[in-house]
Amino acid sequence: MSLSITKLTAVNVGKDMSLEWRSRDVLNSMLFFALLVVVIFSWAFDPTAEQSRRMVGGLAWVAFLFSTVMALNQSWARELRNGVLDAYRVSPAPSEALFLGKCLGNFILVLLLECVMAVLFVVFYNLRSVGPLWQLVIVFLLGTWALVVNGTFFAAMSIRTRNRELMLPLLLLPISIPAVAAMVLATTNVLTGESSSLLQIKFLAVYCVVFTTACFLLFDTVLNAE
Amino acid sequence: MRSVSLELERGRFYVLRGENGAGKSTLLRMIAGLNQPTEGRILIYGIPNREARSEIGYMAHAPLLYDEFSGMENLRFFASLYGIKSEDSLSAAMERVGLNPGLDRRVGQYSQGMRQRLSLARAIFHSPRLLLLDEPFSNVDPDSAVAIARLLAGMRSEGKTILLVTHQLGLLSEVADEVLVMSRGELVKRGAMPQVSA
Amino acid sequence: MKTKLFYLWALITLGLLVFAVYQAAYVAPMEATMFDAQRIFYYHVPAAATAFSLFIVNCIASIIYLAKRSQWSDALAVTGAEVGVVFCLVVLITGPIWARYAWGTFWVWDARLTTTLLLWLLYVSYLILRRSSDAGSASVLAASLAIFASLDIPIVYMSNRWFRTNHPQPVIFNDALDPRMKIVLMWCVFAFMALGILIAWFRYDLERLAQRINAIHVQRAARGGSAMILLPAVALFQLTGHWPPIRYFHAGAIAAWLIYIVYVFILVGKLTKLRKEAAELGI
Repeated sequence: MSLSITKLTAVNVGKDMSLEWRSRDVLNSMLFFALLVVVIFSWAFDPTAEQSRRMVGGLAWVAFLFSTVMALNQSWARELRNGVLDAYRVSPAPSEALFLGKCLGNFILVLLLECVMAVLFVVFYNLRSVGPLWQLVIVFLLGTWALVVNGTFFAAMSIRTRNRELMLPLLLLPISIPAVAAMVLATTNVLTGESSSLLQIKFLAVYCVVFTTACFLLFDTVLNAE
Repeated sequence: MRSVSLELERGRFYVLRGENGAGKSTLLRMIAGLNQPTEGRILIYGIPNREARSEIGYMAHAPLLYDEFSGMENLRFFASLYGIKSEDSLSAAMERVGLNPGLDRRVGQYSQGMRQRLSLARAIFHSPRLLLLDEPFSNVDPDSAVAIARLLAGMRSEGKTILLVTHQLGLLSEVADEVLVMSRGELVKRGAMPQVSA
Repeated sequence: MKTKLFYLWALITLGLLVFAVYQAAYVAPMEATMFDAQRIFYYHVPAAATAFSLFIVNCIASIIYLAKRSQWSDALAVTGAEVGVVFCLVVLITGPIWARYAWGTFWVWDARLTTTLLLWLLYVSYLILRRSSDAGSASVLAASLAIFASLDIPIVYMSNRWFRTNHPQPVIFNDALDPRMKIVLMWCVFAFMALGILIAWFRYDLERLAQRINAIHVQRAARGGSAMILLPAVALFQLTGHWPPIRYFHAGAIAAWLIYIVYVFILVGKLTKLRKEAAELGI
């Protein structure tokens, strides 16, 4: 009888992936939503190529933030629908595995959305990265994890509140402000090639470590806050 | 809930009843570890309930199942939460509740009776020593209800302790040992089955 | 509930406040560049000191609550958060009024202001979480959020220091503070901290009473009401071109006192409601 967290996390991720594959409702709607967001932003902010390199950092991350909140809002929906969350809590499985599984599942979903949106942004804004692209990739990965880990945690918190969909952005945005500031600055730096984004990358790494630890330690408390 | 002090004997079948809002579901949830008591402890076979979770089988109002999975897929997932690897106990549990393990249909398309049966299977597949069942007969067709009652009788003779909340005492008149009555958050009456069946 | 000690403290606070306000308005020397507008400083800084102290109280009380789950620590946590938000609001309103005169702009994104704004946002979301949560979970969820908030604050401060270096950092004090100003500032800090303690004491007793009644839905009257103070202020500053500096000081002082008094009135209203409920339940 092994209840190791890694194995259980893998099981949870697998379960979420196959559940999503069965119905594909979330994936389809989120992809379409992502497309709509990019179109609206591109239409509303239509600068020249040189100007756009300065702005896109901020625009893109606002668009990602928006879509991430929408995606995260439904992350626990399946568990709540038939009370499955209770079944999980009654079992001897550690809740941290549930949390990590959810985070990884959400991470994959949000990364997918960001890839689609990034491609669209490049198309609409005729972008070309002046600085090193690998830095951009790292910023994306770290930034997305920062949003997803806190977002999944606060989504779990919102389960026990009255305005569930409203509580998540309300809780997530203030906490994420420093991370988003770093992401935007790093993206702008790389796209314009004006300076290195290494400082922001280090900052994002520290941010991720601090908050992943905090979420991991407090998830059980929040899940069983009844 | 107000104050409840309760001791249950191993291997006996207890029925819990009371008016709506008496706290029966809350008591069950507390024993299962879902609600935290503000004071006091809950021990199962001497161990705090949150550490004895593998010995508990819980069945609630809600089915506690994923609509998009088939019956076996649901059980396979929950089995991994209990560290059970073999599929034999899962098929056995499904057959015991009267469901076909090979059934490919998604749970979302099950009838209410089938869903209750599968929920029961989920509560028993890991052979827990304590069963907590919250209104297992509600919204279920009479045949399924009788089948479930018979199954529970079988579990009792296997030596499991059963605590069951229901309004339908008739089904259990042959099987239950004791009836506990709750009212307004407290345990008010307790007695052997025939005496308190009114 | 209201012990003799509380009324004694109220008296002391009143005395300190009268003394400090007089000092700030008349005794403190005029500042060289900002003239009378600088006197807002004597409202702004003590409010900030009180607010930060209260938030620290909330942080510690939240940790204690998560460890011990005691009612008093929960009451202390919500007291620290709510009264802290009120004092922080004073900081965020008196600051821009002063800044408008001193720097010509209402707001800059330097480390201190950003951190203060973030603190306020985080704790407002804390209060909203408490209000919207299911009864049994509110305290635990809020305490967890408080821990997140306390982790975030140093991060916000650091991020601002590193990432906004190309913006001009406004200077708060041109040189070392005139010793006479220091003394007045010290009295004001004492006075407003005493006020903070008094209001927090009141709020804490309120919360303990509410806990006893299990009156979970203590009506939190319009926090939006306090935001309304800001709107006319902004409009005013657009219309009038250049006011004499003393007007800025008066505006800041009035805003601060309005916020404190309105909050105390709200608390008194809550208290009468709770007392009625308690009487009905026979507590």
